Amino acid sequence: MLKNFCGSPEHSVNRRAFLGSTLGTAAAMTGLNALAEPALAAELKKTQKRVILLWLAGGASQLETFDPKPGAATGGPFRAIPTDVPGTHISELMPQMAKRMKNTLVIRGLNTKIADHGGAAKIMMRGRRDEAGIRYPDLGAVMAREMARADSQVPDYVTFYTQTEGRGMAPGDPGFLGARFGPMELTTNNTPDFIRKLESVSVLDHKERADLRDLLSKQFVKGRSLGETLGSHNEAYERVRGIMASEKLFDINQEPEKVRDRYGKSQFGQQALIARRLVEAGVPFVRVGRAWWDSHGQNFETHAEMVPELDHVMTTLIDDLKERGLSNDVMIVTLAEFGRTPTINASLGRDHFASAWSMTMTGGKAKGGAVWGKSDPKGATIVDQEVNASSLFATIYSALGINPHKNYYLGSRPVPLVNPGTEVIEDVIA
Amino acid sequence: MRTLCLALAMTAFWLSPPVLAAADLPPASLAIFDVIDQQIDHVMKANDIKPAAQADDRTIIRRLSLDLIGSIPTLPEVEAYAASTDPQKRGKLVDRLIASPAYSRYQGAQFDVMLGYAGSGRNRGTGALRDYLVGAIAENRPWDRMFREMMLPNESEAKQKGAIEFLKPRIADQDRLTNDVSVNFFGVNVSCAQCHDHPLVKDWTQDHYFGMKSFLARTFEKNGVIGEQPSGVVKFKPNKGPEKTAKMMFLTGTIVEEGNQGSPIEKPKPGKNPPKEKPGDKVAPSAPSFSARAKLVDVALQPENADLIARSIVNRIWHRFLGYGLVAPLDQMHSENPASHPELLEWLARDVATHKYDLNRLVRGVVLSKTYSLSSKTDSESPPGAQYFAVAQLKPLTPLQLATSLKLATQDPATFHGLSPADLDKKIDAAEKSSRGLANLVAQPTDDFQIGVGEALVFSNSDILTREYLAEGKDSLLAKLKSEKDVKAGVELMVKSFLGRAPTPVESEALAAFVTKRSANPTEAYRQAMWALATCPEFRFNY
Repeated sequence: MLKNFCGSPEHSVNRRAFLGSTLGTAAAMTGLNALAEPALAAELKKTQKRVILLWLAGGASQLETFDPKPGAATGGPFRAIPTDVPGTHISELMPQMAKRMKNTLVIRGLNTKIADHGGAAKIMMRGRRDEAGIRYPDLGAVMAREMARADSQVPDYVTFYTQTEGRGMAPGDPGFLGARFGPMELTTNNTPDFIRKLESVSVLDHKERADLRDLLSKQFVKGRSLGETLGSHNEAYERVRGIMASEKLFDINQEPEKVRDRYGKSQFGQQALIARRLVEAGVPFVRVGRAWWDSHGQNFETHAEMVPELDHVMTTLIDDLKERGLSNDVMIVTLAEFGRTPTINASLGRDHFASAWSMTMTGGKAKGGAVWGKSDPKGATIVDQEVNASSLFATIYSALGINPHKNYYLGSRPVPLVNPGTEVIEDVIA
Repeated sequence: MRTLCLALAMTAFWLSPPVLAAADLPPASLAIFDVIDQQIDHVMKANDIKPAAQADDRTIIRRLSLDLIGSIPTLPEVEAYAASTDPQKRGKLVDRLIASPAYSRYQGAQFDVMLGYAGSGRNRGTGALRDYLVGAIAENRPWDRMFREMMLPNESEAKQKGAIEFLKPRIADQDRLTNDVSVNFFGVNVSCAQCHDHPLVKDWTQDHYFGMKSFLARTFEKNGVIGEQPSGVVKFKPNKGPEKTAKMMFLTGTIVEEGNQGSPIEKPKPGKNPPKEKPGDKVAPSAPSFSARAKLVDVALQPENADLIARSIVNRIWHRFLGYGLVAPLDQMHSENPASHPELLEWLARDVATHKYDLNRLVRGVVLSKTYSLSSKTDSESPPGAQYFAVAQLKPLTPLQLATSLKLATQDPATFHGLSPADLDKKIDAAEKSSRGLANLVAQPTDDFQIGVGEALVFSNSDILTREYLAEGKDSLLAKLKSEKDVKAGVELMVKSFLGRAPTPVESEALAAFVTKRSANPTEAYRQAMWALATCPEFRFNY
């Protein structure tokens, strides 16, 4: 859509390069493999920042991951291990991450107050709570808005959430930014709905009817003001073939066996691999939801099982992105709706806890090796460098090169990206 | 027995935009459409703006049909209207449409979108609120009465069944309730004033926000019934200064004094409930002798305050039909955001209030204006801003409009020929009911609406279109077309059925070529051609 086209020469090169591989022939329907076009891939590497959000749905325990308290009454059975950052220890359940903490920023000072799944998920996806009169866009929608190209032939915002627990509590939401920046939600399988042409429609028909549609559209647009809505309608149809062509991005069988094995057979691993493929092709934001961390009972068994998987998937992603030269441009974020209580309950579980918990950022301009925020020896409160949802998001945006104080506009009302008065934690930005 | 003494205090300072003196407005005796056209014209002239031409008949009947009954007109209706030489044909068409059952169904659905509680995104109410609204519109119930019924629902009265669904889902979140009442009935979004006086708008202070909240804070919901405590106050901590007790204050600044302020609001505990309520008892507790909520309704409808509710409903109806409000956005009606045509807004508000908040009268007046029937096409390189109403706005079809219209467009037009109004309505009703599936896959439009690629993917690759709309059953357009030997004639019938007009030569040629190329399978050929018509912007938009 020309309206959004910034006019930069880089973007016009990209557009031609992209469309060059999909226009014209019926063979184009069989797919774009941006990853196999080195010139194109090189272009993408230079430009926009992207995010892979590992959403630890249900609330992973900070005590069994990034802020262990071994020996404390609340510490649980697992030990802490040293990492490649002197003075920083993480749970023994994450031995591989222990060798990558110098690439990773840990924030241990989160106090976000809200501890119900739905309300907390909304806040932690947006960095703020909705007001009565405003529906704010979530992180994915903002990334889509900031980073997506107007004529992008790949989706802008993809979310995987395959498990059933908690799915309804944390849907993606573009808020007032509108459907253009809404998520492509993958819930039942790893390929988007309606991305594949119906068997009953021939390739030729699929293309030629779209041409007819185009012709009718040109007739209509003549003499009419191409406003936001009319423009978006045409743009949506223009993007269909490109999005359909990006079907291959969702197919991990396109990756060599060696790579697939590295990520492992778990669904989480496979989806992380798809996420890497997507960001590599220019998708600004992919959320991979891994449920269900809500260990009100048997917290230690649950974490003994799930944390090593997280450890493995996260490190594979970090290494893979690094090898592909994407560490500066792609940030991996681990986040959830809240953490878990230091107090261990009667079922050997930990309950919801938003008063002192942790998250991580790896890549982009997040300062590797830094630790921000300190919890008390039991893990019950933050004693230093407390962070709320608002300043967390200001910091995330800043680490992605986005000005957190910039305004969107709702009518004439300016709506800053983060709540006014929020400060970025400058010390953790590289 | 407590005696409560009430005093209504008018504040010394007038906080809402000054009402224009009656003498400044056009005479009350003029017709609505004449005043609209005069005022719109006046502002255009003052800004040296030329309006677009009037839309042609085929466009006008399509627009009226979509706006009034929520679906496109059938082809026989279009042809009859275009051919008619009756100088009164437009007025008669409007009357026919407003009188049809589809009108109350569609307008009720539109009010449901406005007033319904949208839990999280897609969640709509049980349908009970919509049923209430449809029933109310069907008897052209006055808007002030609908306001009263939704704010003070009397569930024992059959005609009010469902009205309670405006309040009920919102009671748990008092701030949400306060803001939704202010936005929906008064066009005022004071949510920012919850935390601080509005930085730009002098009209909206924390006192206003908590003043409104005070009317509503005593309302509670328990076991599915609504009750109201007889007393209680809202306290708040202003930005500067110590904690305050809010006075019940309407948005205009009118304060309601009440003798006994009572204790701060608490959630009802057993034993503290109003006496008649027992746990599990579904009968609503009787209203307290002083009902703050009832006071809100009374204050809002007093002549000196009714300006707000009158102007707001005028703006809403105007926005619904013209695609852009006299005040934009709809929830920012305050003195820093004046109407584009203040005299017009005032006149219409006065007219609506004087005529007992008769909505059909207002709607009729708006859609009979020349302003309403302007074309959406313009020669101008840079068209004038929407606030001049010099060119008709494109309005994206709502999900129900789109799906219902698609159902109608894909039926053989001959099946609509010569139908009585009742039989025609049956067909429209059937189309509405069978189109919910597709409607659920399309997003409800908002201001500055964007259509996402998801919609395009659904229309391109879902089989719902093939199964439910482009099938070749009895009475279908597809069945009619596949036996049509003359391709040009088939193409013409197809375009007319979808778009209400004959194809241009360029369109005719391209469509005919498409179909002819596929002569081995004419059904599929026409089916795919119809896809292009179903997804083109001329079908997707109300122009």
